[in-house]
Amino acid sequence: MKLAVAILSAIGLFGAFARAEAPFDYGSEIRPILEKHCFSCHGPEKQKNDIRFDTLSIDLLEDSAAAETWHDTLDVLTFDEMPPEEEPRLSDEERQALIGWINHEIEAVVKAKKSTGGRPVVRRLNRREYQNTMTDLLGIETQYTTSLPPEGLSEDGFKNNGAVLQMSAMQLEYLLQEARQGLAKAIVTKPEPPVYRHLLKESNAKVNSAAGGRTYSNTLGRKQLFLGKILEEYPEEGEFLVRIRAKAHLVEGEGYPRMELGIGYTVGSNSPIKVASEQDVVSGEVQAYEFRGRIEDFPLPDRQQGKFPGLLLRVTNLYDDGSPLPKQETVVVKPAEGKRKAKTAKVWPEEPHLPSIEIESIEFVGPVFQSWPPKHHNAILFPSNQRKTDERAYAGEVLHRFMERAFRRPVEKGEVVPYLRLFDQVRPTVESFEVAIRDSLAMVLISPDFLYLVEPSEETKRPLNDWEIASRLSYFLWGTLPDERLRDAAEQERLKDPKYLRRVVTAMLEDERSWNFVDQFVDQWLDVGAVDRVAVNPEYYPDWNDDLKPSIREETKHFFAEVLHRKMSALNFLDSDFAMVNRPLARHYGWEASPRGMDFERVSLPEDSERGGLLTQASILLGHSTGEDSHPVLRAVWLRERLLDDPPANPPPNVPGLDAENPDFARLPVREQLEIHREQAACNDCHRSIDPWGIAMESFGADGLFRTEILRKEPGGKGKTFRQPVVTGTTLPGGAEIDGMEDLKTYLLEEKKEQFGRALVTKILTYALGRSLELTDEETIERLTDDFIEHDYQLRHLVQEVVVSEAFLTK
Amino acid sequence: MNKPWQLDRRTFLRGAGVSLSLPFLECMSVSAAATPRPKRFCAVYFPYGVSMNGKDENAKWRWFPEGEGADYRFNESLKPLDPLRGNLTVLGGLSHPNGRSIGGHDTADIWLTGAMLKGAQMTNTISLDQLAAEHLGEETRFRSITLSNTGGVGEVTRSSTLSYTRTGQPIPAINQPRLVYNRLFGVEKGSREEQRSQLGNSRSMLDLVLEHSKTVRTRLGKQDQEKFDEYLASVRQIEQRVERSEQWLDIPKPSVNATGLHLDADDSTPEELMKTMYDLMFLAFQTDSTRLATYQLDNMNGATSIAGKFPQLLGFGKSSHSLAHGGNKAGGAEALGKWDQFRAQQFSYFLQRLQDTPEGDGNLLDHTIVMYGSSNSNTHNNRNYPTVLAGGSKLGLKHGSYLRYGEDTPFANVHQTILNRLEVPVDGFADSSGELAEIVV
Repeated sequence: MKLAVAILSAIGLFGAFARAEAPFDYGSEIRPILEKHCFSCHGPEKQKNDIRFDTLSIDLLEDSAAAETWHDTLDVLTFDEMPPEEEPRLSDEERQALIGWINHEIEAVVKAKKSTGGRPVVRRLNRREYQNTMTDLLGIETQYTTSLPPEGLSEDGFKNNGAVLQMSAMQLEYLLQEARQGLAKAIVTKPEPPVYRHLLKESNAKVNSAAGGRTYSNTLGRKQLFLGKILEEYPEEGEFLVRIRAKAHLVEGEGYPRMELGIGYTVGSNSPIKVASEQDVVSGEVQAYEFRGRIEDFPLPDRQQGKFPGLLLRVTNLYDDGSPLPKQETVVVKPAEGKRKAKTAKVWPEEPHLPSIEIESIEFVGPVFQSWPPKHHNAILFPSNQRKTDERAYAGEVLHRFMERAFRRPVEKGEVVPYLRLFDQVRPTVESFEVAIRDSLAMVLISPDFLYLVEPSEETKRPLNDWEIASRLSYFLWGTLPDERLRDAAEQERLKDPKYLRRVVTAMLEDERSWNFVDQFVDQWLDVGAVDRVAVNPEYYPDWNDDLKPSIREETKHFFAEVLHRKMSALNFLDSDFAMVNRPLARHYGWEASPRGMDFERVSLPEDSERGGLLTQASILLGHSTGEDSHPVLRAVWLRERLLDDPPANPPPNVPGLDAENPDFARLPVREQLEIHREQAACNDCHRSIDPWGIAMESFGADGLFRTEILRKEPGGKGKTFRQPVVTGTTLPGGAEIDGMEDLKTYLLEEKKEQFGRALVTKILTYALGRSLELTDEETIERLTDDFIEHDYQLRHLVQEVVVSEAFLTK
Repeated sequence: MNKPWQLDRRTFLRGAGVSLSLPFLECMSVSAAATPRPKRFCAVYFPYGVSMNGKDENAKWRWFPEGEGADYRFNESLKPLDPLRGNLTVLGGLSHPNGRSIGGHDTADIWLTGAMLKGAQMTNTISLDQLAAEHLGEETRFRSITLSNTGGVGEVTRSSTLSYTRTGQPIPAINQPRLVYNRLFGVEKGSREEQRSQLGNSRSMLDLVLEHSKTVRTRLGKQDQEKFDEYLASVRQIEQRVERSEQWLDIPKPSVNATGLHLDADDSTPEELMKTMYDLMFLAFQTDSTRLATYQLDNMNGATSIAGKFPQLLGFGKSSHSLAHGGNKAGGAEALGKWDQFRAQQFSYFLQRLQDTPEGDGNLLDHTIVMYGSSNSNTHNNRNYPTVLAGGSKLGLKHGSYLRYGEDTPFANVHQTILNRLEVPVDGFADSSGELAEIVV
């Protein structure tokens, strides 16, 4: 009951900070409208359709039947179904007041129902966190999540929201399977295996399906390959190493050649080959390029089949400037032994005007281990005499140590008991200790203490202990379990000290693992993954190349990282005088000056550049397009949701479609189509505050490139096209007249930067806490926002302050 | 339970020198013309509705057929189903009353449940397939399979699964054909003895985990406890799953020919992906690995759907959402209609495979009820669900017509009809008011 009271009073407070239109007072503003227009049919006299407004409860939280009626009323108003035609119409203000009030009340109820009282809900590790955690815990880099279903998304786009992350039987079943597979790799049972070494100086295999029409060579242009084959002597499990000694033939004005290593095999006309690694070859001197992986992660031939034996190593050069290919040359091939006739073959000539890779040798070593059993084995089954003298006690100690790392906290001796009980049951049934202990370790890995960030609750909010802080911090910035240094700091109980904590944050951000924060936060905040959900239509963009998509996603992450690590102002997200690009992207944007390779570099933008900030990045522009054209509504919604934290309401039910079958409408510019759309009152309510944001971005196509014309298809014209000039002039909600992207950015920087600052605070805090923010967080958001603005919007400072905030440090 | 039949099975096994109490095993019943056949159900869903309002020369792209009753004529969109018209019924005019007042993109979640999902009531209820699984799922190796092209559970009101548990929890859908294949037909590692002992270990492990987790639960706050109960329920459920695996251990998984299956198909190869998913459902039914399957082709969430771009990749021009939105624009009826037609072709392929596979005195389709459709007619419109009900002729369904209903007939009457045909003992389903008498023998 106490809870209900708290929630009710919370609703009362909602009005105080609501961002949307100012809320209405029921008694003085809403009821009079109902009285004027509705009571005559739905009041004391008549209750048409069983609806009566004068006595209808306005406590939507407690009275769910009333809530339903209000919801229905909203629908009826949205579609202008009431008042009926013969009755006086509602004025626009009256309609908006009613709709606004009902919407607001409903939203408040939904929030109250979802409220966690400002406490994170016990949170499961998401896929990414599980992957990282397993990798660090078992010391083996391999895939641990292939069988796990994709993660649910919270309403605000986050994938680490405890209330949203679910557990299901199937998921747990697969988690157990992953745990067992991982442990079977980490703890070895076999004797030391033979190590195979191979050194290949030139291609020793010819396999058409692997070559894909390329010519065998040690000098790799875009149409050559090096194909190595290891017939018998290769391992089927364990880590391996491929060391390629190679140099680049660089060409002035061209980029670095890019080396790709693929590993697989062939079955006749099909060659399953998986890319192991891609890398720029940057030096004209021979250097060793090393790649390490787990051989079982690659397609391996079935040794029994016999017909196409052998492991294939394929090296190619991905660099391609897109120019026409040269003609193939016909060469005479020496007759094979025992054959008389020489044959001819077609080969690709070298292209000295393009950068190439010169392969000196390829070395394969596997399995690779420094000792046997390997390090990852000893890290769990540490060497000890106890194992011989008292195996059970040793098992207990092994489990205890493993649990402390897996559970990310000190573990009491008593907690080991159930795990040891399993060991007792299993041990007599199997020959080796290793096999028996694996199951107890697997049990650790499906235990809630491992899979969830468990933070015991008390009646009232409580400060976190050092171990809990270490975990939250580590998952926030690294997406994995605390490392040894963080564990030491927790052990010494130093993490409650804000000064020390700020230093820890700085150090953690400087560590390369902080890329996880950049990668995940940017992905979830800005939804750069949207580019993968759009297919670009080549009829509209003939020069488009889908290989750009990964670079497009990365651009935004590198941009964020630059702002974060260089202690820059987050206002750079609204506009900046630099961009972060690699060569393909710079070329896509049409820039002369460009990095030479695939690595992202900072490039200064000229004064008059139309680019800068997030809004002109292809990830945003493409991700919120149709693949043929821009999508002004999607872009606008994105901007309001992601940059201003002011998402428009969802589309209402049963929206009337535009009666637009006439080709004249279909030929209209988008802006005018949207204007006609807004002539319908039901659409206008929301779209007048959405569309203008998108119109301002119209000068960028789906490919993210600047344009002055839009390519359109003649409606019903069987492929006929026409061009339309881009129109970007619009009036933003509030009345500001702007024309185009530059104006939009200026407007955001001048009029909306504080709202943007607050939005960013909200987003980072949401991610850091792993839960949706609510009423009780308002104070924290305010305080952090003020401080953020005071510190010139410095992003890194904000991250630090989020960590030392009360919300982060309490449960 | 099919008592007399089970007796037969035991006798057969005893004769073969195996004395074990075994669950149902379809592939061993060879001469079983008289024995009751398995009853199956499959649901296939697509979002955003269909091409509806084409005029003049575009009228042929209307999804719903011309005419009514037995004399109806398919338009272009559903023409691929023509060869099967004796085995299916087209239903028009139906919708879930609970869905009529919720968001235009929010109804996929309730297509199989009929729940109210708005305002403060955001908890779903059990889906048709899962309710049926409580009765039909016990005799097969798997109770049910849940598939979708996007996978997982997605987001409430935009979920990427069709199946919900008794408590309204979404069941994550599998979106990788290889995972489905391995689950249904993959050979487990290790000898049977090793597998048996591992399953035994799993059982002990889960017992211990459950016991331990209950103590973890007591340390949590109320809200956490509610969330944590998901975990406890999952542990209990996989205990049952392990138990079932133990029961099935001595029966090898059916071996199926994987040639022609694109097990590595993903969102870059949509046609192969969808065909393979249909193939896997077919194989699951044919081998009696399960009797219940759901498959969501796409969901209505631009923010998670990886399938929205499929029509673009397949040359239909726009994303599924854009096609649906463009349905009323010039040229839009045809564009959307062609996409409708493509989906119908794939669906027809699936039905055809079921129909071409003899079973007892009929074929697989005769013993499988398949529901195909959407919870939008046009995009954002939650009424007049386009629906095809196919198969189940030997389960008491009568086909061959296009039937239109008024809004006083809740969509859940279809669900109730299906449940009755499957002989699942229920009084009704969601807000159903009876059967669709017209399609019942």
